[in-house]
Amino acid sequence: MNKTTVRMTFEKSGRAIYTSHLDVVRTMQRAIKRAKLPVWYTEGYNPKIYLNFPLALSLGVESSCEPMEMAVVEDMPLEEMTRRLNGTLPDGMRILDCRYPKNTNKDIGFAEYEIAFSPAHAAAEAFDPFVAQEKIEIKKFTKKKTELIVDIKPYAMVLEKDLSDSLFSIYIRLPAGNNMNLNAGVFSGAFLSFAESSGKKLSCICTKRTKILCKNGDIFA
Amino acid sequence: MSKEIENKLKEVLLTVRNPSRYTGGELNSVVKDREKVDVRFAFCFPDTYDVGMSHIGMKILYSLKNSRENWWCERVFSPWDDFEQVMRDNDIPLYALESLDPIKEFDFIGFTIQYELCYTTILNMLDLAGLPVRVSDRSDTDPVIVAGGPCVCNPEPLCDFIDLFIMGEGEEVNMELLDLYERMKKSGTYSKEAFLEKAAQIEGIYVPRFYDVSYGKDGVITSVTPNRDNIPPRVKKRIIKDFDNVFYPESFVVPFGEIVHDRAVVEVLRGCIRGCRFCQAGFIYRPFREKSTDTVCKEVKSLCESTGYEEVSLSSLSTSDFSDIENMLAKITDYTEGERISLALPSMRIDRFSEEIAQQLIKVKKNGLTFAPEAGTQRLRDVINKNITEEEIMRSCTIAFLAGYSQVKLYFMIGLPDERDEDITGITDLAVRIADLYYNLKNRSKGQKLQISISCATFVPKPFTPFQFEPQITSEEINRRQRLLLDSAKGKRYISISYHNYKVSLLEAVLAKGDRRIAPVIERAWRSGCRLGSWDEMFDYDKWERAFSAEGISTDFYAHRAIAYDETTAWDHLDYLVDKSFLIRENKKAYEASTTPNCRERCSGCGVSKAVGGKCFE
Repeated sequence: MNKTTVRMTFEKSGRAIYTSHLDVVRTMQRAIKRAKLPVWYTEGYNPKIYLNFPLALSLGVESSCEPMEMAVVEDMPLEEMTRRLNGTLPDGMRILDCRYPKNTNKDIGFAEYEIAFSPAHAAAEAFDPFVAQEKIEIKKFTKKKTELIVDIKPYAMVLEKDLSDSLFSIYIRLPAGNNMNLNAGVFSGAFLSFAESSGKKLSCICTKRTKILCKNGDIFA
Repeated sequence: MSKEIENKLKEVLLTVRNPSRYTGGELNSVVKDREKVDVRFAFCFPDTYDVGMSHIGMKILYSLKNSRENWWCERVFSPWDDFEQVMRDNDIPLYALESLDPIKEFDFIGFTIQYELCYTTILNMLDLAGLPVRVSDRSDTDPVIVAGGPCVCNPEPLCDFIDLFIMGEGEEVNMELLDLYERMKKSGTYSKEAFLEKAAQIEGIYVPRFYDVSYGKDGVITSVTPNRDNIPPRVKKRIIKDFDNVFYPESFVVPFGEIVHDRAVVEVLRGCIRGCRFCQAGFIYRPFREKSTDTVCKEVKSLCESTGYEEVSLSSLSTSDFSDIENMLAKITDYTEGERISLALPSMRIDRFSEEIAQQLIKVKKNGLTFAPEAGTQRLRDVINKNITEEEIMRSCTIAFLAGYSQVKLYFMIGLPDERDEDITGITDLAVRIADLYYNLKNRSKGQKLQISISCATFVPKPFTPFQFEPQITSEEINRRQRLLLDSAKGKRYISISYHNYKVSLLEAVLAKGDRRIAPVIERAWRSGCRLGSWDEMFDYDKWERAFSAEGISTDFYAHRAIAYDETTAWDHLDYLVDKSFLIRENKKAYEASTTPNCRERCSGCGVSKAVGGKCFE
């Protein structure tokens, strides 16, 4: 059998959110080894299980939609692969879906996030004037280490807001992928410093990636 | 899981470096129902997670204790200084990784002590736990603080801080100790004092408070004697007689992040047949015992399967001394190659480096090649009883070069007893001859540049070695000898030379050979901020120097003074099965540059064979 590409979607939550991207790769490779999945190894001096993660997740961010691609060299039902891998993954990491890919990494255009702030009411009050600004400017460092001011307002789409007693949550869509990538942390960081400049000390309680979308708006699959 | 600590952690973890080392929850970590356990043991490694998680002894004892259903052993490491500050600022006490419960509530807190520079980290961890660091300031209901590991062969500098020490190999005695505790708790006869008194009667357990030390006018120890009945005058270390059947874990906890030795490890043998006169491990781990090839293969397979590691290491003091080595390597590579697992052999002796072994090693992954001739001339190698000839070094290098290696790392020591200037320049001479060999080899793989890295440590005299009597050389003298070496290697671009920090070696000598009078210095150094001393960026000798002078303790007395053969050392009341008369004999032979054959060739009568019933080898 030739190698066939398989895409899995996994969840990252609980204690696993403190695992960096590089460590997630290592953890996955070991879990796949324990699960004895018939996967393809890279060639060369240090053969490694081939894995491809199109969109790295920042440290501390939860996710219910992390894609990961591997290559399979023997026939095994997709459900069986999911079952086996879920048996060997640590707490907080779980395979939600396994399929033959429809899209390629280049199709990725957006990601959606849920971000929660506290204290809830202060955050809710500060949020409307924050997004009502003409520009939302952030500082970015280029590869040559020069500072660049970027207006992120045109890129961020606020989908929903939700106020409870303890938390203020927002749902946003940000550009993702090869051409333009905007980190959720950059957006919430900009909000926190905006609030602070008007005397409100807020904290970001949790950030969760909920969807990865193609440029045409379809779910990346 | 302790909710309170968990919630606090959520708020702070993203502000510290490598937070995954503070969360627990790794694969294969053992979580039990705290309502259903009778004995809780916090196994502390007094260094960071990355270092401690690489330690094999902890893995063994962790799995072993957890094999009892009603005991729960958890792991605890020292936070890095950023997280320590966060813990102190947010009132997060030192907690165990499995339950996230504060270790102050445990029955036992146990430390494994692998090197002297971690002594202040032990105090720091007790303090972070919310406990007084001194035995005399802790209450009956506080946990019992125990310690084991190689450094406790002279635990005297730590006697003010630790309730009891476990001498020698822990697999049996740990279980006996916890059994005793559980029995006394259940029968209602437990008090810390009563427990310690009973524990002191278990072979291998040393309870320092039951011994008095007296000193002479010159500051030298005159006697160490028990201060109550039923306490043995000498405490004998424990050994495992049937090593092939000793408990070994079937799985390791697999960390999220990368640790120092991020791989499966199988311990293939214990003890060492060599008797290098400077090497403490070579004496305190005697006698030599090995596992069978079948046992090693079985353990390799089960660990690789349960962890998913892509590398396995065969660990011991000298893996090439395994009697069935070639057959074993062949069997293991049969398995590892098929599974794409690479094999590491960290402790190879130069004289056993055969073509076959080089081939096996290179099959899956090219590892760097490291040898430890320790001394530059044959005479000095004979003094230290490193029984390797130059011919053997050259033969091993030939094999390695032909197998495709072009980088060689050589370890040496400077400041060895009876070391002369020609021994120092001899290090360079040896490297030059290795280079000549390389460039004259016709069949070596071309196009690679030869690199010889020379790494020089300062000799540290250690208890229970024939060199325990020796003074360490002074700072001026080490500087002179290091310059001599650098000058001799000038212009030879394939040689690179590195040194260990001399102050570290000096402190190691003082702490290794120190007595109970060192304790206030350790406490003062810790209070002034010394901890995690094994990390260059954390090591601060100035603070230590101030602590020594404030307590009126002279490092010269401990490090630079020769100990007379008939002097009572701080560790003479501890019996590591090697006779002092043997150490004296070996010390005298060193000055004659006379070697002692290895244990397999001929028994030298060190005293250990008595403990195993007459004979170490068939």
